[in-house]
Amino acid sequence: MNTDSSDLTLMQLSDSFFPSGLYTMSNGLETIFDEKRATSQNDIFDFLQITLEQQLGPADSVALSNAYDCATNNDLLGIMECDDILHSMKLIQESRAASCRSGSQMMKCISAISPHNLLEQFSEKIAKNESPGMHPVVIGVCSFVMGVKKEQAKQMMMYGFCVSVTGAALRLGLIDHIQSQKILHEIKPKIQQILEKFSDTKINDCWQFSPKYDLFQMTHENKFSKMFIT
Amino acid sequence: MTRILRVGSGGPVGAGKSMLIERVVPFLAKKNYRVCIISNDVISKEDADRIRKNLATEQGILPENMVIGLATGGCPHTAVREDPSINLAVIEEIETKYDDLDLIIIESGGDNVTTTFSPALADYTIYIVDVSGGDKYPRKGGLGIETSDLLVINKIDLAPTIGADLNVMERDAKIVRKNKPYVLVNCKTDQGVEDVAQHIIHDVLFDEPPKNMLTQVKS
Repeated sequence: MNTDSSDLTLMQLSDSFFPSGLYTMSNGLETIFDEKRATSQNDIFDFLQITLEQQLGPADSVALSNAYDCATNNDLLGIMECDDILHSMKLIQESRAASCRSGSQMMKCISAISPHNLLEQFSEKIAKNESPGMHPVVIGVCSFVMGVKKEQAKQMMMYGFCVSVTGAALRLGLIDHIQSQKILHEIKPKIQQILEKFSDTKINDCWQFSPKYDLFQMTHENKFSKMFIT
Repeated sequence: MTRILRVGSGGPVGAGKSMLIERVVPFLAKKNYRVCIISNDVISKEDADRIRKNLATEQGILPENMVIGLATGGCPHTAVREDPSINLAVIEEIETKYDDLDLIIIESGGDNVTTTFSPALADYTIYIVDVSGGDKYPRKGGLGIETSDLLVINKIDLAPTIGADLNVMERDAKIVRKNKPYVLVNCKTDQGVEDVAQHIIHDVLFDEPPKNMLTQVKS
């Protein structure tokens, strides 16, 4: 009998039922919607593609990947370095705070269901404000602890982001349920391509550059009427 | 980190959730209890801004940073029930910084009668309806009405105007809630509001004095 349940664990962690608060985030899409810069399925796809190429691929996936490697070597300081670097690259206060909150809650949940020494040590550093606990870094560490493969963990993070954005688009009334699935289906090769591109990037070489989207996300912070945290 | 007791307050849009908080908190403040309010807004920061303006800026009952507005991504149920992670993260930040608080009140975004709070989020829940929905409201039940620790029936002054029979609402509330407590309230005149505050002091705070008074006694 095959007792390897890592695929099921992947499903558990990537399920929208997993409590990480991602449904509260549009990642700037709400501003773009309000300013009528996104009005169609294609616009959402473009938004996702650019964000993946310019933010999540070169920064978040690299931090996740390096943190995973550090976790494999039980290197807490290395994990904290990945965490610090990613945190310092995120310019938008609202997004930074949201990522830390999702990270700390994921850490708490995984610690409760699968206690592990490394998780305990990293949680302590986060609790003492010695490490920010960015969500991608926490995904890397938790995935290692839960036996999810590194490549799958990166896919999970990228796909989860896309679900969060398309979910926001759906609730904003920009697209319907079929269109949202079409976007998710069509973005998959892009995710693979982007992950491939940055698969060996070291943490010190990570980057992100999307000034226009940074401005959208920044604008969101000061909006009076909003459905989403980011 | 000290765990601070938490009250969840839920109910339909327009039932008076924010107004109830604005009325109850002054009663708690008079007894020196320190309170923080987290307002889960469905669409804007209006509720949080109004509560902050009233209780903090104008009345000076609590500091302005003790009223926090949270957006819920259009999912007010989810934010307090199946995935309360963002609320919990904010609460943990508060608990780390302000361990002398006595109570955190979490207001859910307005939604329908099936609202419940995650046990990880709220120790005690209040569900509020108002008479303008008709006197059938308690009888129709729903998890919020049936299982909350305290049911508040608000805007009772409107009952004659809209033809709602308060006796029917009371009778049905007793049946549906199996004699768990309910309070008839008019937030405009504070009728019943002190009863709600007393329920919180007795049922949640167990009639303990405020933490800052305990500290003074110890020192």
